[in-house]
Amino acid sequence: MSRVAMLIDESICMGCRGCQVACKQWNDLPAEATTQQGSYENPPDLSPVTWTRVKFIERTQGDNLQWLFLTQGCFHCGNPACVEVCPTGALKQDPELGIVTVEWELCNGCGYCTQFCPFGIPRLDTDLLSGEGKAYKCTFCQDRVTNGLPPACVKTCPSGAFHFGDREEMLSIGKDRVEKLQQAGFPNANLYGEHEMGGLGRLYVLKERPLAYGLPENPQYPAMASLWQDLVQPLGTLAFGAAALAMMGFYFVSRRNIKMEEVE
Amino acid sequence: MIGNKMRKVEQADEAGALRIRWIPKYSAMERVFHWGHTVTFLGLAMTGMILFFPFLRPLAQGESGQLIRLVHRATAIAYGVLPLIYIILEPRRALMSLKSVFKVSRYDVEWVKGMIPYYMFGRHEAIAPQDRFNTGEKMNAAIIILGSVVFAITGLLMWFGKGLLPIGFFQFMVLLHDIAMIVTVCMFIVHFYLAVVHPLMWAGLVSMRFGVTSAAYAQEHHALWYYGEDKANEIYEAKKSERAAKDE
Repeated sequence: MSRVAMLIDESICMGCRGCQVACKQWNDLPAEATTQQGSYENPPDLSPVTWTRVKFIERTQGDNLQWLFLTQGCFHCGNPACVEVCPTGALKQDPELGIVTVEWELCNGCGYCTQFCPFGIPRLDTDLLSGEGKAYKCTFCQDRVTNGLPPACVKTCPSGAFHFGDREEMLSIGKDRVEKLQQAGFPNANLYGEHEMGGLGRLYVLKERPLAYGLPENPQYPAMASLWQDLVQPLGTLAFGAAALAMMGFYFVSRRNIKMEEVE
Repeated sequence: MIGNKMRKVEQADEAGALRIRWIPKYSAMERVFHWGHTVTFLGLAMTGMILFFPFLRPLAQGESGQLIRLVHRATAIAYGVLPLIYIILEPRRALMSLKSVFKVSRYDVEWVKGMIPYYMFGRHEAIAPQDRFNTGEKMNAAIIILGSVVFAITGLLMWFGKGLLPIGFFQFMVLLHDIAMIVTVCMFIVHFYLAVVHPLMWAGLVSMRFGVTSAAYAQEHHALWYYGEDKANEIYEAKKSERAAKDE
């Protein structure tokens, strides 16, 4: 199989949050106690036990209140920074399907993934003092997908906003849909994720510019991650080796040249 | 046992008996600080490196990784508290040491010039007179002190600021913590060599163990401290011209 992707048509989503419930059910995640925040969206944010969630964006146009929906979850980047910075190898990218998963037995809770994801997706369940914990995020229901089933959220969506399958196919469905939306009076309609971060595995058909949904217009691979992993760490290793070797060299030179009997 | 006070060895009757006059160099607190610092530094370096070297990855994973991270945090507290104890209990000595570490003079420049002939070829006259700490010790101390400040700031921010700090800033803290580690560990390798391995340098280890140094050693290696600047400089110039005459 080739790389898979999820296409979410946010112009069709009706905000029922069936995907949220299906995700919790399939992944055996508990509900969260939340408080009224003055919005229909709930819970207020992604969390270690909420891997996908519908974000409700309220907009007023004249007297009309309008919602934009965004089904948040891991983007399964083609070039995932979280995988590069993970020091345990718990985060990995399936070489075939491109799905990015966390192997919780390996995770030690350092939280680098949460700090290097340009979308802020992975969430850390941690104890502040001891630092013990694990990172959690959407896995694209890897267990279902590798057994020929669509992810739980895709399967349950009653509106038909979700598509899942071969990434190329998803891109062409998305492009068709964007074209139709643009003709139907949504000039800002766009497909999000074709090229960003090595091409995203979660593609959105958006009615408005990404910024209106709170998405970065042009997400970048964190420069600090490359600087750290590709430059500082190899140079550091080299520096340790060089220092140790130089000291050994100095030792042999000084041993040969310094006559101990002449000293004091 | 060698005490921490100045003592004179009585004139020995037999010819050839060794007469060593010991003078105090480091207080007990300073030695406890030095060795406590050494132990916690190495502990932090070793526990931290599980996240640095890919070949240590198996240790970083799962339960073992969590345990090692916990040990790193506990050791970090000791590492940070130790200098504070030194400063609180011996504020005047701490200030004196700190001042002499960051005091740079022409003797330091000359020490650097004389480093290779002295450390690699044993030419004593090449080394400029030194204070209680020599230039190398001062460089080591300065780098470790500055590195420790960076460790403390970045470490505390990473510990308590995760999720509160902007992620770009957090990423920068991770990077700085790593760079401080690389610089200080390299410095440690050099310091270990000069203080423990180098054939001429056993005296420093003795002072850091017992707190004293022999007057003969201090005259030779810490003349600025032993004689004061005027006389130390006089002796240094005399030695230099003596050697120059011999070489001709």
